Amino acid sequence: MKALLLSSTLAAAIAAAPALSETLRVGVATAQTGALAYADVPVSGGMRLAADEINAKGGIGGDVKIELVEKDVRSDAAQTSIATQELADDGVSVIVLPCDSDPALAAIGVISSAQIPAISTCASSPTLPMIGGDYMFSNFPGDNVQATVSAKWAWDEGHRNAYIIYSPDTQYTTMPLYFAEVFEKLGGTIAGQATNTIGQQDFSAIATKVAALDPQPDVIMTSAYEPDFPSLLKALRAAGVTGQIIGSDGIDSPTTFSLGDVAEGVVFTTAGHATPGSPLEVFNSAYEAANGAPPETIFSAVGYDLIKVLEAAVLAADGSVEPSALRDAIAGLENVQGATSLITYKGTDGMPVRQVSLIRVADGERELVGQPSPDASLIPAPRMQ
Amino acid sequence: MITSPRTHMLAALSAIIAGAVGTAVIASFLGPAAERIVTVFLISLIGVVGIGIYSGNSGILSFGHVAFMAIGAYVSALLTLPTQLKIATLPHLPEWLATTEMGLLPATVIAMAVTGLVALLVGAAIGRLEGSAATISTLGLLIIVHGVIIGWRDVTRGAQSFFGVPRETGIWTAVAGVIVALVLARLYRDSISGLRLRAGRENAIAASAVGINIPRERLISFVLAGMTMALAGALLAHFLGAFSPKKFYFNDTFLLLAMLIVGGMSTITGAVTGAVIITLVTEVLRRLESGLSIGGIELPAVFGTTQIGIGLIILLAMFRKPEGLAGLKEWEERLFPPAAAGNAAPAMPKAHASTPLVAKGMTMRFGGLVAVSNVSLALQPGEILGLIGPNGSGKTTLLNMLSGVLQPSEGTVTQGSVDLTGIPSHKVADHGIARTFQNIRLFPDLTVHQNVLVAALSTRGGAEAEERAQAALAELGVAALAGENAGNLSYGDQRRVEIARALACQPTLLFLDEPAAGMNREETDALMETLRGLTRNLGIGILMVDHDLALINQLCDRLAVLNEGKLIAQGTPAEVRQDPAVIEAYLGPGKLSSKKNTKPQGQPGRKPELAG
Repeated sequence: MKALLLSSTLAAAIAAAPALSETLRVGVATAQTGALAYADVPVSGGMRLAADEINAKGGIGGDVKIELVEKDVRSDAAQTSIATQELADDGVSVIVLPCDSDPALAAIGVISSAQIPAISTCASSPTLPMIGGDYMFSNFPGDNVQATVSAKWAWDEGHRNAYIIYSPDTQYTTMPLYFAEVFEKLGGTIAGQATNTIGQQDFSAIATKVAALDPQPDVIMTSAYEPDFPSLLKALRAAGVTGQIIGSDGIDSPTTFSLGDVAEGVVFTTAGHATPGSPLEVFNSAYEAANGAPPETIFSAVGYDLIKVLEAAVLAADGSVEPSALRDAIAGLENVQGATSLITYKGTDGMPVRQVSLIRVADGERELVGQPSPDASLIPAPRMQ
Repeated sequence: MITSPRTHMLAALSAIIAGAVGTAVIASFLGPAAERIVTVFLISLIGVVGIGIYSGNSGILSFGHVAFMAIGAYVSALLTLPTQLKIATLPHLPEWLATTEMGLLPATVIAMAVTGLVALLVGAAIGRLEGSAATISTLGLLIIVHGVIIGWRDVTRGAQSFFGVPRETGIWTAVAGVIVALVLARLYRDSISGLRLRAGRENAIAASAVGINIPRERLISFVLAGMTMALAGALLAHFLGAFSPKKFYFNDTFLLLAMLIVGGMSTITGAVTGAVIITLVTEVLRRLESGLSIGGIELPAVFGTTQIGIGLIILLAMFRKPEGLAGLKEWEERLFPPAAAGNAAPAMPKAHASTPLVAKGMTMRFGGLVAVSNVSLALQPGEILGLIGPNGSGKTTLLNMLSGVLQPSEGTVTQGSVDLTGIPSHKVADHGIARTFQNIRLFPDLTVHQNVLVAALSTRGGAEAEERAQAALAELGVAALAGENAGNLSYGDQRRVEIARALACQPTLLFLDEPAAGMNREETDALMETLRGLTRNLGIGILMVDHDLALINQLCDRLAVLNEGKLIAQGTPAEVRQDPAVIEAYLGPGKLSSKKNTKPQGQPGRKPELAG
């Protein structure tokens, strides 16, 4: 009798346990291998750090623990669709999607029918939430916003004549088209444009074309990233092109800073910069303490931001981890303090308002050029390219 | 139309339907996750049998068929994509396409038709390549189609993902698709075209000699395979809802080929076995990939485990069972071996009265070497002409020219008013000329019955093929072996089956290249009786090459002697035996003086028997 009593009490305690402390199960379907791993792998590091920090304090609001359920999607659209479906079947509350809008778009069908909110780690194409519908969010300054910041900076520096190099292969690599739009709106001239394919490797034809221009463009803008960007940069410089090169967040990686003379003076937009006393500096130290080395790229901090956004959403939903409640909560978030920036979703279609930092490569180190707030009237409308 | 026993087909088709439906029923009890795994498995299976229709039957490994899957996916998705989304994401589509929106079924049918057309063009272009050149060309196909999809941005969104496709492929859609694909593949395998193609796979030269036009059969299977791949592609596209060109490239080619190779290329049983094993293993490994804990021991996440696992399975399968786990026979062929033919075999039809075959000035040069030089001879219906000569004298080369296997450098072959010079081997058979080969060229992995039947089906318009096949088997006394694999027979039996196969073509002229090689004396004597019967009773003319001079002397009406590519003597055996040039060729110039007693292995005592 006593044994029965004991075991039934135990059973009751176990049954009651989940009700007492809920778990936020985060499905992470990101690219641990393949072309997008350069961004998604550091993002995962930042996400784990944030989850560990929060769990160490008992969870979100002291009682909702975070559990990351991770799957590798190999930078592939079809694999993202499959992994997302598996996570939805698994009953996760929110899904994290890869860094590029293309594989992230592959998940649209799944998340809208399962009604689970999804956040891309660092896709910056503003068309992603636009096409993705109510349940799709991004976690990075939009391409159109980044392009506005860099075009305005170029204009203010006195540059009047720009050349763009873009790839129609992905939404992200068409960012120079937004740049051209803003630059022309400001009164500048686009001297010409060239297209490349992702993974092209040989850029000598484009470099020759640019070198032959008269007058030489003041600015060359591209959103190519590894492994294309280093080859493109070397080809341009080897051909004698001396204009200002402007890149985007895709080149915010150790590779760019290790290229030596050729990368000297390159300016690019990214999600944040660790000024003394900034939250990013705090994050960097925490990351170093946990992993034994400082983060290699800004993407770790972006991953940290993502978990902070989810934390804020759970708090705003009064501790609920129910997917639709979380969706509504995310859509209403305002000024969430992340590692890189204040993050606001309220009033947007899912593309957050975040700070953009302009970085210059100086002596192989990062140098902050500025963290300007873009003029809303200059920002181009999102569109499929 | 179907060449295998009805019991086989009934067993196979009912197993396909029961298996597909049963799998789906079990999966639907296990919940949505299992349903999705089974759906992917069924779609992969369609792809595997699709490649198998071509590669399994033709023996040419294809790396390219996933390209047809891509075409099927893109074409069907373009047709089902909602108009609104099409206008938003593909602004440069032609208007008729942008405003077209249809259901999955019509879109799939159209996609299969379009893909079939593409396969027809591609297949016609690369179908004549042989061996590794054929395989490499399929690799080119994959790369080219991938490049076109990436380049044709206005229609395909290039390398970006093609998304928003209605996710209409459920488990029952996949079941319907897999039944269509498996039934099609199974029927094709034992259709006339499939049997011919398999014969061509086993031995191309022999297949041509019995009237099989291999490039044509290849093209048929290439198109059918392409259409099946398109079905798989359309279903996959509407299962995923989003895909990019990368989905239809090396990774999936590798996966599908792994299934096909592990299971066994040449059977449907093999395709299913391979798909089941690889799917089970990948599902297990994919779960291990993100790490797990067993009894408190944490295993770290190792991404890429799946690919490594599949690679190891292929290696293991190749070491243990190079032909695949299912081997070369369907399960129903193993379970219900075909009954040996009954005794009431129909009689061989008489050869049509035919005009002599006349060869004039036949010359064959291989580079600087003249293998056959200016040889003229005639073969009369109903006679047995022996072609003899030392090794390397050009006998087989002459035979190859006469039967269309080799194109003569010079010279003409005519039959009455019909010029047979240089016509392809598979057409020679239809002019009533059939042959056997010096080194046996059977279709070793087909049954004896199939060996003979495929010849009958491919000559004389295939009329009364079964009867002709049975008669030929009975004539050579190999009817009891009908169900055996030809490759498992004894040497003598293989020779007899080869002659039976030639007879099934209902020839007026029969070329036999060393028919008695490897037979013992009793077997040779029995063969002699059979051959005499063919000429005497059926009026078939025989041209025979052999080194067994006893056989030649007793059997042949006339002999022609070749030496160093030249015709040195022609006449009755008695005349030829006395010919000084012949004696010199066989024994060397020194023996000329003692010619009266020198006949290599000659048996003068039997001379009177030369009447036949």
